[in-house]
Amino acid sequence: MEITSAELGLAARVTNLCKTYGSATTSVTALDDVSIGIRRGQFTAIMGPSGSGKSTLMHIMAGLDEAGSGRVWLGDTEITGLGDSELTVLRRRRIGFIFQSFNLVPTLDVRGNITMPFALDGRRPDAAEKDWIDQLTDSLGLGDRLRHRPHELSGGQQQRVAIARALATRPELVFADEPTGNLDSRSGREVLTLLKAASTGYGQSIAMVTHDPIAASFADRILFLADGRVVEDRERSTAEEISGIMLGMEQCA
Amino acid sequence: MSGSETASATGHAGRGASLLVAALASAFGVLLLETTSVLATVVSGNDVSRIAAVRAALSIVAFLFITIAVYVSAIVTTNTVATVIAGRTRTIALMRLIGSSAGDQRRAVALDGLKVGLAGAVLGAAAGILLSFAGVRLAFGAGLIPDLGYRLLEPLLALPVVIVVLSTWCAAWVGSRRVLTVSPMQAVGAAQERTLEESARRPGRNAFAIVLMATGVLFLAGGVWAGQVTEYGVLLGLAGGLLSFTGLVLGSHLIMPPMLSLVGRFLGGSAPARLAVANASQHPERSARTTIGLVIGVTLITMFAVAGSTFETMMQPLMDDPVTRAAVSETVSTSLAVISVLVGFSALIAAVGMINNLALSVLQRSREIGLLRALGFTGRQVRAMILAESVQMTVAAVTLGLVLGVAYGWAAAQSLFGSVTHAGLVAPSIPWLLVTLCVVGTAVLTVGATILPARRAVSLAPIAALAAG
Repeated sequence: MEITSAELGLAARVTNLCKTYGSATTSVTALDDVSIGIRRGQFTAIMGPSGSGKSTLMHIMAGLDEAGSGRVWLGDTEITGLGDSELTVLRRRRIGFIFQSFNLVPTLDVRGNITMPFALDGRRPDAAEKDWIDQLTDSLGLGDRLRHRPHELSGGQQQRVAIARALATRPELVFADEPTGNLDSRSGREVLTLLKAASTGYGQSIAMVTHDPIAASFADRILFLADGRVVEDRERSTAEEISGIMLGMEQCA
Repeated sequence: MSGSETASATGHAGRGASLLVAALASAFGVLLLETTSVLATVVSGNDVSRIAAVRAALSIVAFLFITIAVYVSAIVTTNTVATVIAGRTRTIALMRLIGSSAGDQRRAVALDGLKVGLAGAVLGAAAGILLSFAGVRLAFGAGLIPDLGYRLLEPLLALPVVIVVLSTWCAAWVGSRRVLTVSPMQAVGAAQERTLEESARRPGRNAFAIVLMATGVLFLAGGVWAGQVTEYGVLLGLAGGLLSFTGLVLGSHLIMPPMLSLVGRFLGGSAPARLAVANASQHPERSARTTIGLVIGVTLITMFAVAGSTFETMMQPLMDDPVTRAAVSETVSTSLAVISVLVGFSALIAAVGMINNLALSVLQRSREIGLLRALGFTGRQVRAMILAESVQMTVAAVTLGLVLGVAYGWAAAQSLFGSVTHAGLVAPSIPWLLVTLCVVGTAVLTVGATILPARRAVSLAPIAALAAG
């Protein structure tokens, strides 16, 4: 019998994952035999230069893109080979997303955006979930902004709404794709502190894709990708150490 | 899909629709003139001296309907261009950023309109002429018309073509005025249609629209009142109709959103329905643009039908003889059928505009739809959302059109025939067959309009939302 992700203490994992784009003659290898696990309750950063395959890895783990070969699990559910509607429901109930460009629904106000994962499921948050959302919006400083629409908020505020939306359903894993990429350094630091607090405070598993060493220094663990392969796996590191590793990778290349 | 790809895709879709609208209007004009020519020849036999007089009378009627069709198609084209521009904000801003003037940008859009108008009008005219030749041959073969020297190619046919080209050009120019509000800075930030819409809110236009509507309604009431005494009441009523309707078109962004949210209430509280309602009510300009053409079409059809049957009701007490009654009834219903077909063509043009606008709005929301898919919206829910938007728009437009048409038609009958029949104020008579046809047409349009946009929206990869930029 196979070892389950839960027994390994993993929120998600991939084994022998490969992915190529394009036709045979012009193919580009995005991922080349990657096997990793994202630990439950930890804040994991996936680092690498542009074109290293980190975004592709995240898309496949989140059920947004198909694996070329290899296997992918979210918790104990193998998602390789699931159909579009199963993946859709899985994303809705078990995964949270934070994007670089915030990606809030412009026609909905802050509350509408935060409760959207519930609305997509055709239900309203129950009492416990409502309490949780109130707690989230308070701690994210959005309490007095609930009736505002996205274009009335600053970038940092919009990203905090996106964080609240991602955490509202207490998903098994939150994927953050360059969450500080469109923010000034102060707002960026705020967002990272909030993500870190979510992981240390109540054990939210988070996987963050980034190429910013300062952002990665907030994580408990850092996976380095280059040319579609995992080249380093470090515990918490300082921004200087991370920059050093990145520079070393550039020089090898 | 990147922003520039979306922009060029919407550009192509918009051009296709404008081409189709211009072609339809031009084909309609040519066909109508050909029909009057054939009719005049048939009526006059081969007596050439009579043809001209009959022809002139028929042409005046033909041009009335051509004007309606051109008016509707100009509104549709203006709105299509405005929608395309709204979606192309970033590209225009980028051109402004690297040194193109707003005037240059606008002239380019207008020139494009001229080309599209020219191509559409010529294509439509060619189709109209071919259809006329085929029609005459068929009618002759079936023994419906005698073998006379029909003139199917004549200089007069150039007139609708020229009118359509000029109106498409003007429509592109008017629709492109938004180009002037695009700032080069929008190429740098994340520009959304929203900023554009807010800058386009003009209190002056709103006030003007409201004044026009109020004056128009007063004139209409005056026309109905004066119509009890003199048939010249219709002139007052006509002025009232034109004023209030122009006010309505100008102020459509004030009227349509409340109508849409009213209809939206009946759609229920599911996530797709709520998003559809939010989309319509938070883009008042866009929803007004999408629906106003259809409102005009339905209003016109209903107006003629209600005016006709109300007139019939008013005449009934005056006619004791059942034979005369039947004859009048027959004449009214034949004329109504002809008029409905003629005006129905304008409604068809309006429907093309609505379908196209819905498709454009889906194209322009690729990112948003991709995001919804990433967050867990199923393909079925996306389809339901687009269907809900379509239901909301067609139901609101057709309902408003029916209500307005009944009011205008009743006012027309009262102000024109009130003094003749001395029937006093009678309730408007509503031709239920027409209402049923409208409802069925609406249902077909509602579902038909969503087929392509829904297919496109469902095929969008959720990953599109993740792509930065």
